[in-house]
Amino acid sequence: MSDSDKWDRMLRQALASEAGPDERLNRNVIHRYRERSEARPKGRKRISIGVLAAVFTLLLSVSAFAAVKLLSPQQVAEHLGNGPLAEAFASGDAVEINESVVSGGYEITLHGLVSGAGLNGLEDLSSDISPEKTYAVVSIANADGSPMPKTSDPEYGEVPFYVSPLMRGLKPWQVNIFSMHGGYSETVLDGVMYRLIECDGVEMFADRGVYLAVVGGTAFPSNDAIAYDEETGEISLRPDYEGAAALFELPLDKSKADPAKAEAYLRELPKEPEEKETAAENDAAALLESKSEEMATKSAERKKKVPEGTTILESVQKLTPDDRGRVHYKYDVWNVTLTPDLFFPEGQTGDYPFQFSERDGKVLALVFTVDSLGDVTGKVVELDP
Amino acid sequence: MDIEELNDLIERHGKALYGFCLRLTSNRADTDDLYQETLLKAIETRKKMDGNRNPKAFLLSVAVGLRKNQRRKFAWRQRIAPTAEYSDEYNAIFTDESPEDALLSSERRRQIQEAADRLQDKLKIPLYMYYTAELSIEEIASALRIPSGTVKKRLYQARQAMKKELEVESL
Repeated sequence: MSDSDKWDRMLRQALASEAGPDERLNRNVIHRYRERSEARPKGRKRISIGVLAAVFTLLLSVSAFAAVKLLSPQQVAEHLGNGPLAEAFASGDAVEINESVVSGGYEITLHGLVSGAGLNGLEDLSSDISPEKTYAVVSIANADGSPMPKTSDPEYGEVPFYVSPLMRGLKPWQVNIFSMHGGYSETVLDGVMYRLIECDGVEMFADRGVYLAVVGGTAFPSNDAIAYDEETGEISLRPDYEGAAALFELPLDKSKADPAKAEAYLRELPKEPEEKETAAENDAAALLESKSEEMATKSAERKKKVPEGTTILESVQKLTPDDRGRVHYKYDVWNVTLTPDLFFPEGQTGDYPFQFSERDGKVLALVFTVDSLGDVTGKVVELDP
Repeated sequence: MDIEELNDLIERHGKALYGFCLRLTSNRADTDDLYQETLLKAIETRKKMDGNRNPKAFLLSVAVGLRKNQRRKFAWRQRIAPTAEYSDEYNAIFTDESPEDALLSSERRRQIQEAADRLQDKLKIPLYMYYTAELSIEEIASALRIPSGTVKKRLYQARQAMKKELEVESL
């Protein structure tokens, strides 16, 4: 027997299950289960998470059976500091979906989306919003009810997720969130991860059939998870994919389709290789990965420079919460709304770099400071080059 | 799920689950709590379980999640060394050994268990899932929602870390 086998055998013996549950314990489990079953009203159908989310959004209350309290797209946008987009999600032009899928150990929910008319007028409130874009909110939770890693946890991001619109008849590796000038913001609240994605508007494709794909285990377009029929243009999930995967069909208004605009748009997209898997695509994936890493590194480096930066004195504003507990900061191009209780961990004080902007060779940081009384001050800091 | 199904779940996976919970908590009172809460939580969320998931792996993943949430609640309870409680059971396994060998094995076993307990959760949990609950690599990957390659890497790192520590201790 090799040393490795001997060591393995020792571990097996030492770590083997030492004892089992006694009868009393198992009887107690059954007794408690029986009590809970009898306490539930007979004949009442178990309420799905999708319906719960809709009820919560409409009535601002949560059923006693809810395992997880999900936020509305409006609340997610607010939490991510995008007040104007929150207004858009609350408008009549937003599409509320609240559809959930359980896959690969995760519960994936598409909450809603907004594009086009729902965003008109809001571009004046924030340079980040455009009526030519589509915004959608997705949540991802562990199916067993355990919390997702917080953004501050080391495990955060260990399981990446790819969230992208896909259009019937258009190759998923060619037309996706990356080629459609997309991006996302993400946060974890009460153990649920919420992602707000944005990309070029999908309404023009409404007559083709538009999906939102969510794939776990990768941050990039995945032919392992998504199947494309070259003859029919149909997009579907591969049944043998081992990770989490969901494909939601978006209920878009077909009257808003614009085939001519769509064709012109597609002609302008970056040319991608025809072959599904080529060295060029691998290079593109590697480039995207290195760019993501580059951005993460750049962000971390910038955060370190904030303490030594120069505060723009006229940008300093002490923020007073409104009647909903939110604070609003507006200075120059910055226009942010956020809920301090949700954003800052309880008891945290100090500077919290929120966003960075690069203009005219300068790097500016929007920084929120929380003091020992919980009061929030916003300021813009110019970082040393 | 009816009572018979619950009984079946307990019969098939109760021992592995209990043993795993004991490794995570190291005292009987906390183990009993975690075991019960895991089963009840798993029953509640069972309908959400993906049909392809192994029930044992699902139970263990629920236990890991609950353990993380309840760590603060358990922290105040004094730890009771399990070897003192279960030493009779240990000795029964090694009937071919002399009393001196059995004593040495018992001591070695304690050292290995303590070394495992000192590992960070990232390495400890796959280790216990593999050796205590006897899950396969693929089942561990499914339970922890990480690739199989990552499971293998973490098991390797755990074994190497413990081996290094125990070799140092024996000098």
